[in-house]
Amino acid sequence: MMSKKTSQNIAFWVFRILGLVVVAILFWILGFIIYHGAGVINWKFLTTAPTDGMTGGGIFPAIVGTFCLIVGSMVVAFPLGVMSAIYTTEYAGNGKLVRFIRIMTNNLGSIPSIIFGLFGMALFVNALGFGDSIIAGSFTLGLLVLPLVIRTTEEALKAIPDSFRTGSLALGATKLQTIRRVILPMAFPNITTGLILSIGRVSGETAPILFTVAAYFLPKLPTSIYDQVMALPYHLYVIATSGTDLEATRPIAYGTALVLIIIVLLMNLLASFLRRHFGKKVKTN
Amino acid sequence: MIEAKNVNFYYGDFHALKDINMTMETNTVTAFIGPSGCGKSTFLRLFNRMNDLIPGTRLEGQCLIDGEDIYAKSLRVDDLRKRVGMVFQKPNPFPKSIFENVAYGLRVNGVKDRAFIAQRVEESLRGAALWDEVKDKLKKSAFELSGGQQQRLCIARALAVSPSILLMDEPASALDPISTSKVEELIHSLKKDYTIVIVTHNMQQAARVSDKTGFFMLGELVEYNDTKKMFLNPDKVQTQNYITGRFG
Repeated sequence: MMSKKTSQNIAFWVFRILGLVVVAILFWILGFIIYHGAGVINWKFLTTAPTDGMTGGGIFPAIVGTFCLIVGSMVVAFPLGVMSAIYTTEYAGNGKLVRFIRIMTNNLGSIPSIIFGLFGMALFVNALGFGDSIIAGSFTLGLLVLPLVIRTTEEALKAIPDSFRTGSLALGATKLQTIRRVILPMAFPNITTGLILSIGRVSGETAPILFTVAAYFLPKLPTSIYDQVMALPYHLYVIATSGTDLEATRPIAYGTALVLIIIVLLMNLLASFLRRHFGKKVKTN
Repeated sequence: MIEAKNVNFYYGDFHALKDINMTMETNTVTAFIGPSGCGKSTFLRLFNRMNDLIPGTRLEGQCLIDGEDIYAKSLRVDDLRKRVGMVFQKPNPFPKSIFENVAYGLRVNGVKDRAFIAQRVEESLRGAALWDEVKDKLKKSAFELSGGQQQRLCIARALAVSPSILLMDEPASALDPISTSKVEELIHSLKKDYTIVIVTHNMQQAARVSDKTGFFMLGELVEYNDTKKMFLNPDKVQTQNYITGRFG
């Protein structure tokens, strides 16, 4: 029979190797894309529109489009998500209505993104008459990440001990003052996590923008929220599957993928910087 | 003056306080003692309506402060809590600077005058015997203070809104002996300006700080008497047994 120590060692090594496998897969994907994509990335690629039937030129309009959609969808999802989370955790208690809202929120989160795309087309593009536009795409993407924002905000609020709430209320603060002055600042770093995750999700989604905003080829930059834009994930899909010359566009596809990954990475770094910066101020003991 | 008249209190079906009548005089220190779960903290929290935060609770009878029914519909709970400050068992300063912790109660009550806030912060910290220790680091986080200092900060925070009553729910039970004696000295010095009600597990503490003591058991107020008499010659045999440590 194996000694306790040996079996423990074996277990540790199994876990360690499995952990490393995950890291290895990640680096493999990254390395693969960097290897194929780094060659095409230069200043011109980042700052010009596609040319020659999308076999040449850059991806500038798609980068701008993706940024517009990130900002737009956050403007939609963030206030809405944070406020509903405040309602369900701070105000609503634990009644039937809240449980219903929570279940429905989770259901919303498990709906396939293509359904959001179709719903967005039906509601924002057609019924509300926004047309294919940044605003329609932002609302659709906003709805898509709403459950994520709600759930992470709820977790952030629940993580704050009740003693801070009672301490504030006992000083004659109202519930709203308590939330605004004590609870939200403390929860802010963790709420930012929700923002990070949602931005990652939004910038990579293709299906929801397919029918609501994304343009196949539109070198002109948007001038209003009612304009269509190109977007990186959809552009990637287009040049990888339905371009005029797939062989010629392959390097551009890898370059686009790399840019997309870098944008997500930069967003994450920015958010985690903010998180640490504010985290220091509101650290609890 | 704080009065409870025929108070019964329920957590759902659980009858937590049974028919309690009690009067606490202005500018005195009253201690509540009794075994865990006897209802003394529940009773204390009736007077700033902290029990309102717990769903499924129910109160019968009357709680009066200076003759005013504090459960009257016309009364605003946040106004009541300005008049009745509370200090909790575990120090719970906010993740803010020392200054902002004390200023918090003023700010949520709409005070904007900076000079007045600064003055109240100093007065309150002096009142809580903390000023000399923190006057050079008011901008530092409250979490940099020791547990005992944090508790005195919480007392200062409660004093800043100028309450007339201070409720203390085992304010020293999480503190070391030196910090405890500081808090006890503080209670002594606060008595001339405030009516203080303190819940404590520590019998010596009750004997040291209070003028009157109420002994609670199983939701009933068994005996309420002058502290001296209570600890030397109580009227009830249960009190005698509890104080001498025969159970509890």
